[in-house]
Amino acid sequence: MSTARDGGSVSAAAGRKRSPTLIVGLILVGIHVAVALLTLVWTPYEPSDTSGSRLEAPSWEHPAGTDRLGRDLLTQIMIGSRIALAVGSGAIGIGALIGVTFGLLAAFATRLLDDALAALLDILIAFPTLLLAMLVVAAQGGASLGSAVLALGIAISAIVARLTRIVSKRVLSQDYITASRTSGTSWPAVVFRHVLPNIWPTLVVNFALQFGLAVIAEASLSYLGLGTPPPNASWGRLLLEAQGTVLTAPVGAIAPGIALVMLVLGMNFVADGLRDVGDPTRRRTR
Amino acid sequence: MTERKSRYAIFHIPALAALIMFVFAPSIFASGSPEAGGQTVNPATNYDPNATIRIGSLYEPQNLDNTAGAGQGVTEAFNGNVYEGLFRLADSGAVEKLLATDYSVSDDGLTYTFQLRRDVKFHSGDPLTAQDVKYSIERVMAPDSKSSRKSSLNPIAGIQTPDEHTVVVKLSSRSVSLPYNLTYVWIVNDSAKNLTTSEDGTGPYRLDQWRRGSTLSLVRNDEYWGDAPTNKEVVFHYFTDATALNNALLTGAIDIITSVQSPDSLRQFTDNPNFTVKDGHSTTKEVLAFNDRVKPFNNVKVRKAVSQAIDDKKLLNSIWGDYGTLIGSFVPPTDPWYEDLTDVNAYDPEHAKQLLAEAGYPDGFTFTLDTPNYDPHPVVAQFVKSELAKVGITVNINIITANEWYTKIYQAHNFEATLQEHVNDRDIVFYGDPDFYWGYDNQQVNELIASAEQSKTPEERNQKLEKANRIIAEEAASDWLYLYPQIVISSSTVTGYPVNGLNSQFYAYNIKKAPEA
Amino acid sequence: MLSYVLRRLAILALSLLLASVVLFVLLRLLPGDPASALLGVGASPEQIASAQAQVGSNLPLGEQFVRFLAKLARLDLGRSFVSTLPVGPEIAARLTVTIPLTLLAFALALIIAVPLGIIAAVKSDRWYGAAISSVSQLGIAVPVFWVGILLVTVFAVQLRLFPSGGFPRRGWDAPIEVLHALVLPVLTIAIVMSSSLIRYVRSATLDVLGSDYLRTSRALGATFSGAMLRHGVRNGSVPVISILGIELATTFLGAVVVERVFTLPGLGSMLLLGIQQRDYPNVQGVLFVSTLLVLLIGFLADFVQRLVDPRLRDKISGAAQ
Repeated sequence: MSTARDGGSVSAAAGRKRSPTLIVGLILVGIHVAVALLTLVWTPYEPSDTSGSRLEAPSWEHPAGTDRLGRDLLTQIMIGSRIALAVGSGAIGIGALIGVTFGLLAAFATRLLDDALAALLDILIAFPTLLLAMLVVAAQGGASLGSAVLALGIAISAIVARLTRIVSKRVLSQDYITASRTSGTSWPAVVFRHVLPNIWPTLVVNFALQFGLAVIAEASLSYLGLGTPPPNASWGRLLLEAQGTVLTAPVGAIAPGIALVMLVLGMNFVADGLRDVGDPTRRRTR
Repeated sequence: MTERKSRYAIFHIPALAALIMFVFAPSIFASGSPEAGGQTVNPATNYDPNATIRIGSLYEPQNLDNTAGAGQGVTEAFNGNVYEGLFRLADSGAVEKLLATDYSVSDDGLTYTFQLRRDVKFHSGDPLTAQDVKYSIERVMAPDSKSSRKSSLNPIAGIQTPDEHTVVVKLSSRSVSLPYNLTYVWIVNDSAKNLTTSEDGTGPYRLDQWRRGSTLSLVRNDEYWGDAPTNKEVVFHYFTDATALNNALLTGAIDIITSVQSPDSLRQFTDNPNFTVKDGHSTTKEVLAFNDRVKPFNNVKVRKAVSQAIDDKKLLNSIWGDYGTLIGSFVPPTDPWYEDLTDVNAYDPEHAKQLLAEAGYPDGFTFTLDTPNYDPHPVVAQFVKSELAKVGITVNINIITANEWYTKIYQAHNFEATLQEHVNDRDIVFYGDPDFYWGYDNQQVNELIASAEQSKTPEERNQKLEKANRIIAEEAASDWLYLYPQIVISSSTVTGYPVNGLNSQFYAYNIKKAPEA
Repeated sequence: MLSYVLRRLAILALSLLLASVVLFVLLRLLPGDPASALLGVGASPEQIASAQAQVGSNLPLGEQFVRFLAKLARLDLGRSFVSTLPVGPEIAARLTVTIPLTLLAFALALIIAVPLGIIAAVKSDRWYGAAISSVSQLGIAVPVFWVGILLVTVFAVQLRLFPSGGFPRRGWDAPIEVLHALVLPVLTIAIVMSSSLIRYVRSATLDVLGSDYLRTSRALGATFSGAMLRHGVRNGSVPVISILGIELATTFLGAVVVERVFTLPGLGSMLLLGIQQRDYPNVQGVLFVSTLLVLLIGFLADFVQRLVDPRLRDKISGAAQ
């Protein structure tokens, strides 16, 4: 159904459309990246500083108010950016590494092995990320940033593997691959020279989408008590702690959520924008 | 298509704003609290004897047998309600006779003779006999019993049943707290089966249904030997989340919360005429436990220094606001041998630094604090960390799960310091056991505690334990950060419930609920 | 057709067996043991050792697995280590919460997403088409528990329209009460699910809109809606059906977060608690049942796809991707 041409160069020339979605997305994500980098050197208060009075409304001293222990909420939210970006990138990193490798292997495998792998992947994918994460966290002995990232990475790798397998197979079925092999190119060279460059755009779009999902999944894990523990709490943890005081101190229950939505929305826009700009396997509509 | 869509990408920000406003508009207009009741309600005088009392709790039983698990959930639901003991621990802390109508003790203190109440039937219809009592006590002492009270019955050497209504308990050494220890031994029908999933007790309620993860309901026992309960049904609703629990009370889905865990939510109830807030005495202590076996905590000066460097009052206030109590030892105010020792290692950071220097750590030191991942421990850990930083001690917080705490710290003793809450009353005995996880080993204390139980009178026991407690406090065996408050909140249509959280018991048989309007 | 069904069933059974082995081994690799879930502070080392022995966790792994399989053959899922309640009946009880919750949310999400998704695609040049797309973008960027918290705060605590949580004690004997209690949880899940589905439906519809057969059909004189109904929907629904299957399957256990917000005694909560307590029989039982459900749904989705698209019937078995 799709029409991938050679190496992607055709789409590169023809597909460089401007995508405002991409730009808006990059701005939203960029804000978070900037904040996250800033927190490495400065935050309005120390994250464990409990000197403020509890559950204060926003004021000049505490622009987002304080949480139930007197900690500055703005600081907590800023650090949340750092945590979210770390979780997202880490999970994608692991997922990409494992997933692409297995996906490529599956694409090259014999029919039987490939079918089996496909079935296994389907089961893994249908298994909710959250529960997979719970098992990994339990295996690690407890909640930590590392266990959450590992768990999410494993969950993502299954999806990446399946996608890689599908698009790789599509590429491999093209004539120019056969031609390339006939003229003596080795399989590794085929992979690096033809397959990867062709599947990369699709994969990157997928990564961007998975990033958002990973951030949300970590928030859910934190809500269940299995995510990054305090201090350096993630937004999910902040929302968990604020849920008892939604009406008396609404900022604490809303601001971390908005920050999270901003980042995930931004990443989704980036994904959409990238897809609009240069994914040769996506069918164009009129 | 891309271009068309992009024109509307800008939609997202206003859409988000609109969503937020829509969600919160009602709250701007609605009143913050529910409408006041209107008529005065006094359930104490005007109550519905067939009411259903709905109790909200965070502690679901693991199973229904208190020798097959040590959880507080089953104690809360069943103690005094479904099962009774020879004695009962009243909410005031007094030990009262219940299924034992009388008892006598031999002069050497080694033989106790109990007279059983007559005409008592189990829920299955079988009569209560001495054999049942013997069976029940032996169950707690059995090798595979997981009861947390098992070791307190060690002095029991044998039980005889000379007749249907007399039980003779022979001890190998004196045990002056035996009646108290017997308040936790449920008298169970010796022919009952499947006690982990069903019950056969003598109490004022029988088990109706246990829907795990949701509710446990009790229904009035109309053949009860004593006074009938002032309600017909009691339903425990179990929650995993304190906010959900509070919301259930706020919206009237439940009538009582047995033990409030977060003070911030109290605001919704304290100035509200629809609810009653009662603050009683709890026995739950938040402890910073050192591993007294390892450096540097094997040094008394270091332990004292750490204790004095932490401002317990500020910690308590930041977690519980105006509630809760400060303690200077492991003994809560409701224990008979309580003494106020809060000034033994009072907050004094300057003195703490001095002590550290004397102990050989003028520049402080570093240690790992193993912290359970549930409230309030992570918060307490952060507080401890920032306080100790002021005297030069660096704390590395290591978050662990409850499971891990149990294996790594409780069993393997593999830690430097940890945080934990200790729920039981009368548990000073832990400091007399050198194998207990914190490894405190003081010869004098061990002797005092061991011999305390063998005193001839309760007063003698109290004196010995007070003395032991003082030593434990002076040596800062642990740092007792604060005593949890025991806050019970109920709808104002309900009275008659216990207010002191003695070991999680919650007697429901005096609860009165006003008739539905 | 028959051989296809039989073959799929065989694959189903094999997958289940494979899944059981993996699960069984994985669980035993978890550190910690159920004894510590049962005992508290004050337990002596002897009590701990005795508890561990009782739980049978000191039998050789192979023997444990064989026993497990033998019981499974008799449809006996064993008893919980912690509560000693039989696993099967408890799962059945929890399913009376999880299945209605999931199916109702799914149905609601479909009712919302399919029309809106199609509109968003067909009318992507109008403001309302783009608005739908925008809102759906928002819907997938929001964590589901946050939606739940906000809904509870506004509709339960503030406005007292619905209960703030819990599953009625009498269960389905009081269906009105149950449905009343499920409104907010179902809405919570549906909001997020429908946002995701809108995007898939929209994408599939856009693909259909640009397709040759639609153009051909119109060129031959069919009206737009006629062409859509006769060709568009059938073609467009094939990829959507497999997505739907996955969404439905992941929600059975994935609803654990919603169960936490609304205190519903569902399957996800049983699994979470089981994992925390290292209650292997419970965890195994739940994973087994949910794997079965997932595979069944996949099977169904596959089947429906073949019904819809005759071309697929000719393909030799394999994923319809």
